[in-house]
Amino acid sequence: MTDEPLLRVEDLTTTFETDAGRLVAVDGIDFSVEAGETVCLVGESGSGKTVATESITRLIKEPPGHIEGTVRFEGRDLADCAEPELREIRGADVAHVFQNPQDALNHCYTVGWQIAEAIRIHEDVGRSEARARAIELLGRVGIATPGARIDDYPHQFSGGEKQRVMIAMALSTNPDLLVADEPTTALDVTVQAQILRLLDELKTEYGMGVLFITHDLGVVSEIADRIVVLYAGKVMERGSAADVFERPSHPYTRQLLGCLPGIGPPSAGGIPGTLPDPTDPPEGCRFAPRCEHAVEACFEGGQPEAVERSPGHRVSCIHYHDGYDESVLGEPPTRLGLADPKAEEDTRTGGDADDG
Amino acid sequence: MTGEEPLLSVRGLKKHYPTGGGLLSRSSGAVRAVDGVSFDVGRGETLGLVGESGCGKSTAARSVVRLEEPTAGEVIFNGGGRAGASRNDDGTHPNDVTRFGRAELKAFRRDVQMVFQDPTSSFDPRMSVGASIAEPLSVHGLSDRGRRRAIAEDLLERVGLSPGDYGRYPHEFSGGQKQRLAIARALVLNPDLVIADEPVSALDVSVQADVLGLLEEIQSTFGLSVLFISHDLSVVREIADRVAVMYLGEIVEIGPTEAVLTAPEHPYTEALVSAIPTVGPGGKRQEIELTGTVPDPSNPPSGCRFHTRCHAVVQPEGIDLDQSAWRRVLDLRHRLEAGEVDLETVRESIRARTDATGDLDRSTLGTQLRAEFGLPETLSDPVAERELAGSIEALLGGDADAAAERLASTFRTPCEGTAPEFTGHGGGHRSACLRHAPDVPSEPE
Amino acid sequence: MPPERFDRIDWEEHAGSSGFSASINTVAFVLTALSVLALAGYDRLFAAERETVFGALARDVGVGPRFESLGIGADPGALEYLFVITLLLFVWYLLAPLYQNPRMTRYYWDRFTRNRPAVVSLGWLFVVFAGGLLGPLLLSAPQQDVLAGHQPPVYLSIDASNVARCLGETVGGRCHGTWRYPLGTTQAGEGVFRNVVYGMTISMQIAFITTTIVAAIGITFGTVSAYAGGWVDEALMRFVDIVLSFPTLLFFLLILYIYGAGLGMFILVFSLFAWGGTARYVRSKALSIAEEEYVDAARISGASTYRVVRRHVVPNTASSIITQLTLLVPGFLLAEAQLAFLGLGDSGINSWGQLISAGRSDLAFAPWIVLAPGIVLFLTILAFNFLGDALLDALNPKTEAERGR
Ligand code: SF4
Ligand code: SF4
Repeated sequence: MTDEPLLRVEDLTTTFETDAGRLVAVDGIDFSVEAGETVCLVGESGSGKTVATESITRLIKEPPGHIEGTVRFEGRDLADCAEPELREIRGADVAHVFQNPQDALNHCYTVGWQIAEAIRIHEDVGRSEARARAIELLGRVGIATPGARIDDYPHQFSGGEKQRVMIAMALSTNPDLLVADEPTTALDVTVQAQILRLLDELKTEYGMGVLFITHDLGVVSEIADRIVVLYAGKVMERGSAADVFERPSHPYTRQLLGCLPGIGPPSAGGIPGTLPDPTDPPEGCRFAPRCEHAVEACFEGGQPEAVERSPGHRVSCIHYHDGYDESVLGEPPTRLGLADPKAEEDTRTGGDADDG
Repeated sequence: MTGEEPLLSVRGLKKHYPTGGGLLSRSSGAVRAVDGVSFDVGRGETLGLVGESGCGKSTAARSVVRLEEPTAGEVIFNGGGRAGASRNDDGTHPNDVTRFGRAELKAFRRDVQMVFQDPTSSFDPRMSVGASIAEPLSVHGLSDRGRRRAIAEDLLERVGLSPGDYGRYPHEFSGGQKQRLAIARALVLNPDLVIADEPVSALDVSVQADVLGLLEEIQSTFGLSVLFISHDLSVVREIADRVAVMYLGEIVEIGPTEAVLTAPEHPYTEALVSAIPTVGPGGKRQEIELTGTVPDPSNPPSGCRFHTRCHAVVQPEGIDLDQSAWRRVLDLRHRLEAGEVDLETVRESIRARTDATGDLDRSTLGTQLRAEFGLPETLSDPVAERELAGSIEALLGGDADAAAERLASTFRTPCEGTAPEFTGHGGGHRSACLRHAPDVPSEPE
Repeated sequence: MPPERFDRIDWEEHAGSSGFSASINTVAFVLTALSVLALAGYDRLFAAERETVFGALARDVGVGPRFESLGIGADPGALEYLFVITLLLFVWYLLAPLYQNPRMTRYYWDRFTRNRPAVVSLGWLFVVFAGGLLGPLLLSAPQQDVLAGHQPPVYLSIDASNVARCLGETVGGRCHGTWRYPLGTTQAGEGVFRNVVYGMTISMQIAFITTTIVAAIGITFGTVSAYAGGWVDEALMRFVDIVLSFPTLLFFLLILYIYGAGLGMFILVFSLFAWGGTARYVRSKALSIAEEEYVDAARISGASTYRVVRRHVVPNTASSIITQLTLLVPGFLLAEAQLAFLGLGDSGINSWGQLISAGRSDLAFAPWIVLAPGIVLFLTILAFNFLGDALLDALNPKTEAERGR
């Protein structure tokens, strides 16, 4: 690779000192984000996905946290950056959108003031210009009549609108990378679809890289260009959206897919068991205690070496190693969904006609 | 429904919250959270109640069990040995929950239980989970400590936990486990009906499947009826036999899950179905976008409540527009009527785009205004175009009211005049949309 | 017998029974409190003026002076009876539940012990508590002995000319302290140590009685207000406003000048006007608890409002007002000391404030009279503050919820 991607994370390890001992939240993961693409970090709560993204701009409090590994952003190594520089990067180049907009907005100020303030911290512009830009941004993220809403307080916005406001705020400094941490989890399905579409449009329009974190593969399929599947702080599988959805290879990915409503046998019953104790991760493959295909070798050594199945599609499971037979894993789950796929086709085309 | 008596039969249920009185409140009406809802839940059946947040689905459920006092309507519950009752002479029903006295209500609550949404707040943090599960037993007079404990331990096992968890505290459990505990608590009185209010929406997808599986298993083992409330059609599809779709306090479509989800009849259901994420790359779904926001339930739109956002809203006689253009014109009209169109914003966005300074001429402004509302440069229907142009003229001339009036006189959908009645589609599948009424074209262009 | 199952209960069997069962703690409290009250009543009605209650009891029961031989020669007054009852409350409703729920206790204890200063504070308060409780039983009250005035503490010395009669050795014109008065004596010849120990009793009485009164009124007002709503709520909260804006000190001085006032009056007046904040806090807390889903779950199980309040709302508010109450105590202790220092306190008691006030004129040459109680008072107040902060952290439901995830 000659071109340096927008963001490259290598061997990132984040640990915390706790009363119960050293907790390894993220254990040597790598991924990269190019400008203009959406990379999804997928995993259950506790898989370390949030910690991983917070480690990028060092939002983790150190101590008790401790971050190792390289994080190269636009060619700079963030590990070498001093706190003021990091703060500058956090504000201007890497923007965050969180799960709960109501926690991230200040209830004492109007949203217009908050957006304008964000602009003025990073750019030397006048009050009125900042305000005009704020109105424009609100309009851009799909708030109707932004001129009238700009002087409203956060509580006057609905949940979906608040998330739009948060996105406007994140965009206010023209970031190169947008980190969205479960931005739609707290929202209704209809609103979620709108926000996902908005993020997708903005990505193209602003040419940003988007790092999207979620536990929901359904959401991932809507938005991702590339996917990184995390489990207990380790990467299980990575690849393009097509790779992961058409040829899901890792047992964990397959089980996650099977949990989606409409995929796999109805009420497959989730994934039995719970995430391993992060202060005492199991030997061998992290997923071994819950994996239905685990063999003895899975419980020994470290996480199995990742195998490249096709360019960029890498899987960390022992059954893809030489000397093992991957066919024991069976067929990947397919979309069973509704009883009659044909009927579904029909309504979908019907929907098209309606919309047109 | 067949002749068999349903377990729960809700008729015309209303719950209004008065808003008047406060100096700061704009309207002194009522929030019509639930406004005339009727549905049945059969024995052993799961009814899914879906809708966006704020549509009144939770309020409806809470009114059914009288956690909220319903404003009007009947809730007839035929479980727990109440089967086969017939109406009294004065038309009231002996099993009408809304008329239950104190003792009857307490007995009723033995037969109906609830599972709540938020696993963190559904258990008293100072009580061991075993004590929480057993509490309903002591409320209903089972004073023998040992028996209470034995029953709770048995239940813990049944929901996939161990009897040894009896003495543990809520903070020691994960979200999914707490939902299992909540199911145990809901079962402890051996109810006939369990109301599950978004029981999985706070959980990870992988855990959701887990909890849904448990709920389904328990339901079939004990022949429970379940009223399952969710905003997520894909979850409802997993578990419900029938679905009722709510919008703004009313049910707009109801029917067997299969039929409603594969062949939705109501435009709102169509939009909801299209918002279900479909997994798989490439095939990004064809999604129906709902314009506008959910209207204020204290002042719901006239006629069909969905007409302010409906993508299929019916065009009147004499107007023949592209459906999306028609929708957009209506959006412009509603915004004008609400006094929300701000020319200053339009000017600002032109300036931001073109660096133009000074006064902007009318045609630029007009074009920009159309662009902002996604309207074409000219409408295909000449009559409509004339009226729209005239209205925009008036608006730019500074008379927003006249502009709104002009639009309102031409662009008036039948949907805002008539509240649609339910139409049957066979097999108990009914929806309330004017397009199904005999004298209206069933499919718009 | 088949194993108990939820779907095999015959509810007809239980219909009609109210489900009321007093907890064992309540039973224990009522029994113990009744016996104390009986003793108090006996004291009032039968024990003669100059007789101790235990002496009288021994005589009436015919066990001879056995109590005295056990060292129980105390003659409690109304305040002491009240104190004992508050202690019983403390034991049955705070300590006993902690003992009965060892899991919960260990959980909070683990969180609490992360805060070292708080553990030390708790240790110190335990010393004060034990001293206050046992001291008067083991040590007789400090006696005046003018000849033994101004004795220095052990290992310290004082110019012999300041002492009327040196009880220890006099070396080189300096009088040295003795073990008879480990912390020296006051001008009147009372042992400072004994005074400090007796002061612990007073401080503990202040702490326990005020806390109980404040908690009782505050919780009652708060929950009633939250649950009644409407005009009741409005009226109660306006009343709280009045209480909060009441000039307590001036009122106390007024009573003092007109009727004279002892420690009991002090405690009564100050705690009767200190519960406003607690009531408000309980009310808002109760309102937020009413929103919790476990309250809905209890209601839908058929639980009455009374049961919901008693089983869920009060325990959950109580554990969070403990912090607030802990932080109130230092205020009372300081108020008492200040009044005593100004000479407005109850001169009939051995409080730390009285001792400080008695020693201030001799500060130049006998600083221990002020310093000993002063330091003890300071440490006690500090300890209460540390304890309050640590409890806030340990009991904070928010961090708890996060950990629970
Ligand atoms: S390495 Fe073994 S345990 Fe891990 S995913 Fe593969 S089969 Fe399962
Ligand atoms: S009645 Fe009209 S507005 Fe309502 S759903 Fe049908 S088409 Fe849409």
